[in-house]
Amino acid sequence: MIEIRDLVYRYGDAAALDGLSLSIPDGQYCLLVGPNGSGKTTLVRHFNALLTPDSGTVTVDETDVTDDPVVARTQIGMVFQHPRDQFVAATVGADVAFGPENLGLDRSEIDHRVAAALDAVDLDGARERRIDALSGGEQARVAIAGALAMEPSYLVLDEPLVGLDWPARESVLDHLDALAADGTGVIVVTHDLRDLHERADRLVALHEGQVVLDESPSDALGALPDLGVRDPRC
Amino acid sequence: MLSYRPGSTFAHRLDPRSKLLVQFGLAIAAVAHPTPLWLVGTTAFALGTLAAARLSPLAVLRSYRVVLAVLALAPLIAGIALGPPWFRVEPALRSALYVGRILPVLFVSAAYLTSTPVRDTRAAVQRLIPGKPGQILGVGMALVVRLFPLVLADVREVRDAIHARGGETRPLWERARLLAVRSLERTLDRSDRLSVALRARCFAWNPTLPPLSFERRDYPVLAVGVALALSPLIPV
Amino acid sequence: MATEQSVDLVDDETVGWFTKAVLIAALTAALAQISIPLPGPLPPFSLQPFGMFFAGLVLGPLWGGVALLLYLLVGIAGVPVFSNGSAGLGYVIAGEGTGGFLIGFLVGAVVAGAIAHRSTTPRPVADLSVPVQVAALVASVAVVYAIGVPWLSMVTGLSLVRAATVNAPFVPLDLVKLGIAIAIVEGGYLSGR
Repeated sequence: MIEIRDLVYRYGDAAALDGLSLSIPDGQYCLLVGPNGSGKTTLVRHFNALLTPDSGTVTVDETDVTDDPVVARTQIGMVFQHPRDQFVAATVGADVAFGPENLGLDRSEIDHRVAAALDAVDLDGARERRIDALSGGEQARVAIAGALAMEPSYLVLDEPLVGLDWPARESVLDHLDALAADGTGVIVVTHDLRDLHERADRLVALHEGQVVLDESPSDALGALPDLGVRDPRC
Repeated sequence: MLSYRPGSTFAHRLDPRSKLLVQFGLAIAAVAHPTPLWLVGTTAFALGTLAAARLSPLAVLRSYRVVLAVLALAPLIAGIALGPPWFRVEPALRSALYVGRILPVLFVSAAYLTSTPVRDTRAAVQRLIPGKPGQILGVGMALVVRLFPLVLADVREVRDAIHARGGETRPLWERARLLAVRSLERTLDRSDRLSVALRARCFAWNPTLPPLSFERRDYPVLAVGVALALSPLIPV
Repeated sequence: MATEQSVDLVDDETVGWFTKAVLIAALTAALAQISIPLPGPLPPFSLQPFGMFFAGLVLGPLWGGVALLLYLLVGIAGVPVFSNGSAGLGYVIAGEGTGGFLIGFLVGAVVAGAIAHRSTTPRPVADLSVPVQVAALVASVAVVYAIGVPWLSMVTGLSLVRAATVNAPFVPLDLVKLGIAIAIVEGGYLSGR
């Protein structure tokens, strides 16, 4: 369970998050939507203590994330926009191994996790391939594998589909479905709900740093245009 | 240019740490004693390392042809005199001997490059240098290897963009300034995203070190490296 | 889930300087591959020293040194990052007699950083006075020659005077580069860093 209470975060004088509260139970597939500047990215960066709140608390399974960022960062795998800028090695296997290596695991356990993570995104044969030689969709899947190798309970994806063509987009989403079905909580930050609204359990919309809508995606769709998010059915 | 090629030669099967030591040891040994006999000895040793990597000396000479052509000018420059007899043989020969010492260094470094993947050198650096400096340099090397092609593409794009907007009509200093500043900005723009990604993946001071295995065959190689590094102490 | 040993996270500030050092190392490598063609018989105009300039001014002596050291290490490991896609320890030692200049870039970045920041913790470039930055740049170029020329003499057996004479034609080009770097500093182009 990710539990956010009265979270405030300011950039200078502007409050990006303005007393926001939200809880996300284990295994939920949750969409986090809102126009640019609504605070989506700022919010998720509090989940694993990449940002420290000005006030309020963030707990994961009742541990305050600022007290133990290692637990937060292993429990919550995060995949950012622009996967090209987040790889740390030139080959797929070496990149996916980076997280588990930082945890100080045995080499055999690391190899096992890398194999399992690549298998989960159907890239099991790609271990020795150069990341720069992969397509955009494959790069997005390698980034997901890098997060999965930490064996997280939640996977947070910040605009994972930007710049992907339709088949690559479908493939990434299908893999997320499989992970969700397997019990991993999936949280997707996006301003583009195409193909996503039917897959998720819940839709949370942010506006000016506050939750303004929290419903099942099918019930929420009608209210979206007022919030600056396009109705995916149009 | 020479680069790593997969293979199973004796050189390929050695641990990068023993190979690095031999490489640095030979570089020290090569400049230790500027005598013809010593030069013959170090060159013979270097040819041995090429054989261990199954690398043809001619291929190495060809790949270093620009370096060698420039270095070959040194004895000519050394021999020039500003008065009769206009060319003096003795300093030219001395320079030739000095330049000749570079040859075994180039040979051994070629043997190392072709038999050692970049990631093995990175692993050796991370394991040889203890503590935080080793971690910074080891992970840093992996990141530079990863980012170099991206940054090179950025810089080329910046150059082409300046060109496309009629930059060649601008004076050189202005073009160079634009290129340098825009390239720096483009490069550092990646820095925040990379920092966040490293932190999200628990970038730590005490990770599992990259795998390397020091085998029995590495011990004699290590001993040779140490002997080479100590060779300046040998009286000749 | 408890991890088996305690994970010692690298602190946020260090991660920030580290990633900047890594990127400036990659930029140094990229600039060594790029040159602006000059008219007539003049050699192409390379921007390689700008890696050293930026490392010293933006990163200070410690992280600027790390940046240039990473550049050299990656080259020694075999990535074609030196001029014209060269690599290897042999190239760092010899080059076209130019190995000392590569080492000079490393020491030059440390010296420039030390003069500009006078601390291993770098300050924002906007807080550094322009004369101090200019002094740092001039010193870094002097250091490159102070190491490069004797190194050339050692590698080739040329006397110091002859080694210096051989390098003389490159001095005007390097002074132009120094002038451009000073113009960048005086124009405030780095003050956002």
